[in-house]
Amino acid sequence: MTTPQTSDDVTRRDFLETVAKTGGQSFLFGSMFVNTALLRLPQDAAPASAKAKADAEAGKGIIYGFVVDTTKCIGCGSCVRACRAENGVPDGYNRTWVEQYTFYPNGEVVVNSPVGGENGFAEPGPTRNMPAELATVQPVRGFFVPKLCNHCIDTPCIQVCPVGASFKTDEGVVLVDHERCVGCAYCVQACPFGSRYLNPDTMTADKCTWCYHRITKGKLPACVVSCPAEARIFGNVSDPTSKISQILATNRVQVLKSYLGTRPRTRYIGLDSEVI
Amino acid sequence: MRHAAHFARLVALVAVAVAGFLFVRSKVVPKDFGVKGHYRLSAIADEAKREPRHIGSADCADCHSEIYEAWSTGKHHIPQCENCHGPGLMHTKVVGEESTAAYPDKMLKVSKLAIRRPTGFTECKWCHLKTFERPSTLKSIASVEQHITQHNGKYTPDSKCVDCHNPHTTLVTPGKSGLAFLSQAAK
Repeated sequence: MTTPQTSDDVTRRDFLETVAKTGGQSFLFGSMFVNTALLRLPQDAAPASAKAKADAEAGKGIIYGFVVDTTKCIGCGSCVRACRAENGVPDGYNRTWVEQYTFYPNGEVVVNSPVGGENGFAEPGPTRNMPAELATVQPVRGFFVPKLCNHCIDTPCIQVCPVGASFKTDEGVVLVDHERCVGCAYCVQACPFGSRYLNPDTMTADKCTWCYHRITKGKLPACVVSCPAEARIFGNVSDPTSKISQILATNRVQVLKSYLGTRPRTRYIGLDSEVI
Repeated sequence: MRHAAHFARLVALVAVAVAGFLFVRSKVVPKDFGVKGHYRLSAIADEAKREPRHIGSADCADCHSEIYEAWSTGKHHIPQCENCHGPGLMHTKVVGEESTAAYPDKMLKVSKLAIRRPTGFTECKWCHLKTFERPSTLKSIASVEQHITQHNGKYTPDSKCVDCHNPHTTLVTPGKSGLAFLSQAAK
């Protein structure tokens, strides 16, 4: 039995082929847009209108950015202590912390952050929190990664707030309104970076503000000032002459958990693939 | 139309409910909520008005000019005053005999002058204790005992870095304590 092949008559094979082709093409086409949107850095966005241009000239167009150079961090914990003192962060909680990554010949990676690195780090060995069988093994590689709020452009934490207590300023800083916050801690769970905590003193959500009370007075955040290794760089990314813009222009930077598409404004230099 | 009264009652009830809702809403929702987005606009100003607690090394120099001079021209000028001494805001308030009542803060309990007196050992270890993950370019020691023995010193369990090193310049003056600058300042 043969089936006549006319233009109106589509065999099952043809049909499936067409579906697979167009489906695949449209998927690729669509994902191209999705990817570029996710990868676009905040300073790439051109002023959309004449008004936006005028605002930028009037100094309203400040967009803050933060760069962490993990290759420079010495793991002294100065930033953690400075942040605690500057912002009155309760003991046991951290707005910023330093993680220590140690790689062993068998491929194991040990990550440590005792008290957020506030009191420094111990040498590899029995005093360090690590598997006992690795204590006598000489590690092959290691580095520190300071972490803080990423001040994402597409924030999961603001989206979930039921009372409008979390918001983003025009400068791109994500803040918490402590008067409105009811302390449901939904945002604490929503943040994929663990940047938020519920302050036990105020029972409101708390987080890194990039020292908003300092940067609006022309000072740098406390962690940036206290860093002895210049591993933390803060500034206005919309100003091409600023230090951070120069660093962003001459370095290859990465963000944490880019696959989540939150588009963080905190960028990292020398970020290893093992860093989570 | 025997149901007209029912409708009138229903409409009145809904009107009262809506009016009540609008009244409560006008009282509960802040005036500036939703001006720019789903948040209270003045929360930005609330966050910004806090006073910076780290005053910066340049401000420390207003009173401690000699130490500032030694520190800023020496090898140890990268870590700031407040890295070891803690934030200076309370200190300036206490010394300036301003009221610190507005600062219910544990920093005040650190010392009478509301500034941290470093131990001369713990602070040094933060950066200069050898750790595998640290860049090798950083000057660091494996242990205090090893370092002192290496330099033909006499190690005791109470040995501190400032026994020999001036913490502001890192310099060592043979036969002199690293804290000799304290007695000079007292003169």
